[in-house]
Amino acid sequence: MSHRFLTTMGGLAVVTAAALLPTAPVAGQPESSAAKTTGAAQTWTLPRTADGQPDLQGVWDFRTITPLERPKALGTKAFFTEEEAANFEKQENRRQNRDLIDSEHGSELYPHGGVVPYNEAWYDRGTKIVGSKRTSLIVDPPDGRLPALTPEGQKAADLRAAWQRNNQTGHTEADSWEDRPLQERCILGLNSGPPMTPGPYNNDFQLFQAPDYVVILNEMVHDARIVPMDGRPHLSIRQWKGDSRGHWDGNTLVVDTTNFKRETSLAGSSANTHLIERFTRTGANTLLYEFTVEDPTVWTRPWTAVIPISKSEDPLYEFACHEGNYAMAGILAGARAREKAEEEAAKKESK
Amino acid sequence: MRILSRAAGLVRAAAASITALHLCVMATASQAEAYKAPRTADGKPDLNGIWQALNTANWDIQEHAARPGQVVALGAVGAVPAGLGVVEGNEIPYLPAAAAKKTENFENRLTADPEIKCYLPGVPRAAYMPYPFQIVQTPNYILMAYEYAGATRTIYMDKAPPSPADSWMGHSVGHWDGDTLVVDVTSLNDQTWFDRAGNFHSDALHVVERYTPLSPGALAYEATIEDPKVFSRPWKMSMPIYRHLEKNAQLLEFKCVEFAEELMYGHLRKQPSK
Repeated sequence: MSHRFLTTMGGLAVVTAAALLPTAPVAGQPESSAAKTTGAAQTWTLPRTADGQPDLQGVWDFRTITPLERPKALGTKAFFTEEEAANFEKQENRRQNRDLIDSEHGSELYPHGGVVPYNEAWYDRGTKIVGSKRTSLIVDPPDGRLPALTPEGQKAADLRAAWQRNNQTGHTEADSWEDRPLQERCILGLNSGPPMTPGPYNNDFQLFQAPDYVVILNEMVHDARIVPMDGRPHLSIRQWKGDSRGHWDGNTLVVDTTNFKRETSLAGSSANTHLIERFTRTGANTLLYEFTVEDPTVWTRPWTAVIPISKSEDPLYEFACHEGNYAMAGILAGARAREKAEEEAAKKESK
Repeated sequence: MRILSRAAGLVRAAAASITALHLCVMATASQAEAYKAPRTADGKPDLNGIWQALNTANWDIQEHAARPGQVVALGAVGAVPAGLGVVEGNEIPYLPAAAAKKTENFENRLTADPEIKCYLPGVPRAAYMPYPFQIVQTPNYILMAYEYAGATRTIYMDKAPPSPADSWMGHSVGHWDGDTLVVDVTSLNDQTWFDRAGNFHSDALHVVERYTPLSPGALAYEATIEDPKVFSRPWKMSMPIYRHLEKNAQLLEFKCVEFAEELMYGHLRKQPSK
């Protein structure tokens, strides 16, 4: 992809996000980049399916190293310069490289004595920031960070942070599988949400369109979200992936999802989430994915993220997560073995 | 089915069932000739919809009388419903060692059936499990999404990539033979069963499926099974598959992992300290 083209996508991201939330202030970056590239836009025509829908079909790859939230140190900086972007990529790729984590001394990602569960060979994360050079995937609030938490959201976040610390220092909480996250149980993919957010691997999905349905098939944990497009009402039951309904807003596919059973793999979300996703084809090889999360149980206001996505030439493969989940038995057995060892040590001491 | 005594009865029963199946298949084929399915926008027979088999093949693909379940607490709820079977001719041509293995599987079915652990069902079992599945038909890909375990498979209608490895749902390549969708399925692993009665296959399994529109509400489904490590010759299953006509039909989640966790990991749960 050319730099010029990526800039176009960035410009679109800002414009469409602003349109989605008309009350949100537009982030302070020149949106003129969209105008600069009209020449490129003219050479491409939106493809359509045989029945006339905008054709968004294909395998799409949403990997990026741009974080969901803008790093605090960047303050009000919404976009990197070219040089800053290159530096950020270099630092971030180094910071995230599991093979460079010294577990003995710890690091920002893993505390002292931490256990690094996978080495770098297992990762297939993005190594580049998004073409707009935004410093976060979140575009609203304009500071690029998740909104303030409600008291209930804060309580859940504190519990999650404690769980995470215990997990990384080998004090794994594993009384049963219910102490483990949904992705370890192979109930939801860790990046398939909904909404989808870039993760360590399997950042791909395939989009299928039939006259009354759109299907979003994530490779991660073979999650197929089948979205009826016929205007039927939402269900009254709750499901892990919620209940999705779709419609076209011009050339944009809008997917509205409610009725979640509990949190999804989106960190911090609750069953009360109302998710609005927007998929817009912006070029032969590009798709813009925007989503807005309204979850008044957790966050004090809605928030929106924008992720430019690229076409992939690779097929999706089967991700038989549960079938190969030897880790779950290992985690639980490990916890039991640790308890036994601690019990025996305590007995010895008391003698 | 009637309860018949000994050899003579068995022979009669087999003959009767063969005739019945034969007639059924004949009827199916002639109906299919008479019926022309509606077309998709790109001119192919339109198989889009939510479908489900209406038989007891998932309990046992062969003809079987009702029998008790294996969990006493489930009583009548856990019992096996009777069925005429879906195997053409009813006989499955197991090689001798494989026939012994099938018997062993049947005896151990309470612990050995992969469905109990919520494992992906494989092909063709996915098509006749007692859950609906949805066909999402596009010109180059046909997605089959199954309610059971959220299983999916993509049928490549054009430019299939090579299969990198064996998998639970296999590698599916399709083409149209008149109004019939023909799917060639390979790269299946040896971990799935055909039913809850222990009918099984090896990793040499090759399945050719045929989906033929019979009427607006039904498809004729056929699966030819070839596996030289387990069977002495190819054999075939056939059955109708019906369309869900409910206006609000939709696949719901049956993420059964959570229903199998206590069974699979319960022994590793922390016990209250004494």
